[in-house]
Amino acid sequence: MEAVTSLLAGFETALTPLNLLWALIGVTLGTLVGVLPGIGPALTVALLLPVTAQLPPVSAFIMFAGIYYGGMFGGSTTSILLNTPGESSSIITALEGNKMARRGRAAAALATAAIGSFVAGTIGTALLTIAAPAIADVAVKIPASATFSITVLAFVLISATFGSSPLRGLISLFIGLAFALIGIDSQSGQARFTLGFPELLDGIDFIVLVIGLFAVGETLYVASRLRKDKASVIKLDGNANMNREDWRRSWKPWLRGTALGFPFGAIPAGGAEIPTFLSFTLEKKLSKHPEEFGKGAIEGVAGPEAANNASAAGVLVPLLTLGLPTSATAAILLGAFQQYGIQPGPLLFATNGDLVWGLIASLFIGNVMLLVLNLPLAPVWAKLLLVPRPFLYAGILVFSTVGVYSLNNSVFDLVLLAIVGVIGFLMRRFDFPITPAIIGAILGPVAEKQFRTAVQNSQGDFTVFFQQPLSAFILLIVLAALVVPQVLKSRAARQGATS
Amino acid sequence: MSDPVTTPIPAARRGLSVPDLLVALGVLIVGALLLIGTLKIPFGINAYVGPRVFPMIVSVGTLALGALLLVATLRGYRAEPAAEEDSDPDAQPDLRQPGIILGGFLLGSLILVPLGFVVGTAVMYFSVGVAFGERRVPLLAGVALIVALVTYVAFTRGLGLSLPAGILKGVL
Repeated sequence: MEAVTSLLAGFETALTPLNLLWALIGVTLGTLVGVLPGIGPALTVALLLPVTAQLPPVSAFIMFAGIYYGGMFGGSTTSILLNTPGESSSIITALEGNKMARRGRAAAALATAAIGSFVAGTIGTALLTIAAPAIADVAVKIPASATFSITVLAFVLISATFGSSPLRGLISLFIGLAFALIGIDSQSGQARFTLGFPELLDGIDFIVLVIGLFAVGETLYVASRLRKDKASVIKLDGNANMNREDWRRSWKPWLRGTALGFPFGAIPAGGAEIPTFLSFTLEKKLSKHPEEFGKGAIEGVAGPEAANNASAAGVLVPLLTLGLPTSATAAILLGAFQQYGIQPGPLLFATNGDLVWGLIASLFIGNVMLLVLNLPLAPVWAKLLLVPRPFLYAGILVFSTVGVYSLNNSVFDLVLLAIVGVIGFLMRRFDFPITPAIIGAILGPVAEKQFRTAVQNSQGDFTVFFQQPLSAFILLIVLAALVVPQVLKSRAARQGATS
Repeated sequence: MSDPVTTPIPAARRGLSVPDLLVALGVLIVGALLLIGTLKIPFGINAYVGPRVFPMIVSVGTLALGALLLVATLRGYRAEPAAEEDSDPDAQPDLRQPGIILGGFLLGSLILVPLGFVVGTAVMYFSVGVAFGERRVPLLAGVALIVALVTYVAFTRGLGLSLPAGILKGVL
């Protein structure tokens, strides 16, 4: 019961008035950015990183965790009332939830989303508490060659399962890896790809990349094909709440959604999209009211929303225990750890126990705060959807400028930001997913270090990755992940052609 | 919409798309430039894996993926533009609007230090507002200045960041 003792110590850290305040700021900001279109938790954490440089790491991470969970809660509000899912994981909520809202059941849809998120977030965090230290204990024994192979596995799964085309995902990943190469090589001291600019010797800060690809790229892209008709926000009368019947129909989907979401979050396989869809299909199959699906069935909101939030907790398992981010926000949290000189991984629980446990405890606290923020205050958040788009996007760009400029007080960084923004624009226009690029940029240097350590340890033998059994096994999975879907696809295409 | 994940079937065989072709060639050029850059990195000493090996993997990988994309494009594959919350996938893309934003952003960046943060970001804010179709110019200009000013005061006073004061030096 070591975890319980550690967790209690974590609560001691998280329950100080100042850290409670940071948690509250975090969940409020998180809900805000979840509700507002064009800005997500990944971007918000990146924007706040330069600003929080003076904070102690524990407080900063408590706030970031609040933003992360809050974004999941807030996203459902936009999906339900505006029918515009902010992330792919909210697509299902948008479908059923918006139909419910159109039938005048917005309050119940928002409530089942919020309470389901709370249930899933709390159970997910409890599972994280149990699983993470155990996995960290095992992970310490993994050799460098296998760690590199695991990173390659994460790269391939994340890029090949995001978006419509594995090829485009992998190109996005390589764009990120290429960005990460710029600057002085940390092991040999050689300058790489600096093109003679002294400003590039330190490399391109990942904050410039994240803000450029997300905020600037999105602003440029939306401006190029702006929706002319006004979006119709469904009016919400009163608070988010549910009746007895809603409760009866919601609680099982919450639990099933949680059971699906957590494991999918914990493996690097493309985030929350798959479990939310699985949960939707499952609820449709089990429901006593299958005819309601597609017209606004409450189970179709409760299950996927729970799956969404449980996967958010699951994502933290590989991040904290292996240093492997499986979503864009997790990648930026990894970058944040690095900025504080902390490397998440198996040793994190030993070296920074108070930080990790404070963070985990604050997730429990943040969940409670989010429930309070989202049930009675739902009408307030709904009002945010009415912010006129010109003013909203202009504001996002100004905050991006502050975030990037305050990194080094350098106009050079702003020019870089514009260039990266154009790349982000092109990536949206030509259907390259953004997340693999972010993961590549942040995890690339880590992967290179593991690669070199492994080869160094084996006295220059590059076959070490195939000889070490665990590493060879993982590389075999990598190969299968690349080949099997292609084979299945071409076989399906051939069958489709003959029939 | 009965099926929630009706992903559009990749639009194959609709003929060759020139923009897609340019993108594929662009990826190949980036790969080639990376390879040239890699060959310019001096060898490290006393190491089995020098600073060149990883960049070599990245550049060769980029070249290979670019070649695959070129083949797919030549066979008629074209990209589906992303669907964002506030974008209309069926709208005719208008490149003037992103141009206005980029122009405003670069102008704002250039005057950020000499004229100050408030003026610089107000120019940026204004240009985005215009590009997003706001036509009430005095209102937009007013909001731009207020947002820039509030941001400046909040970040310099509240959070202790140092942002260039420019022409407002001494006033704020």
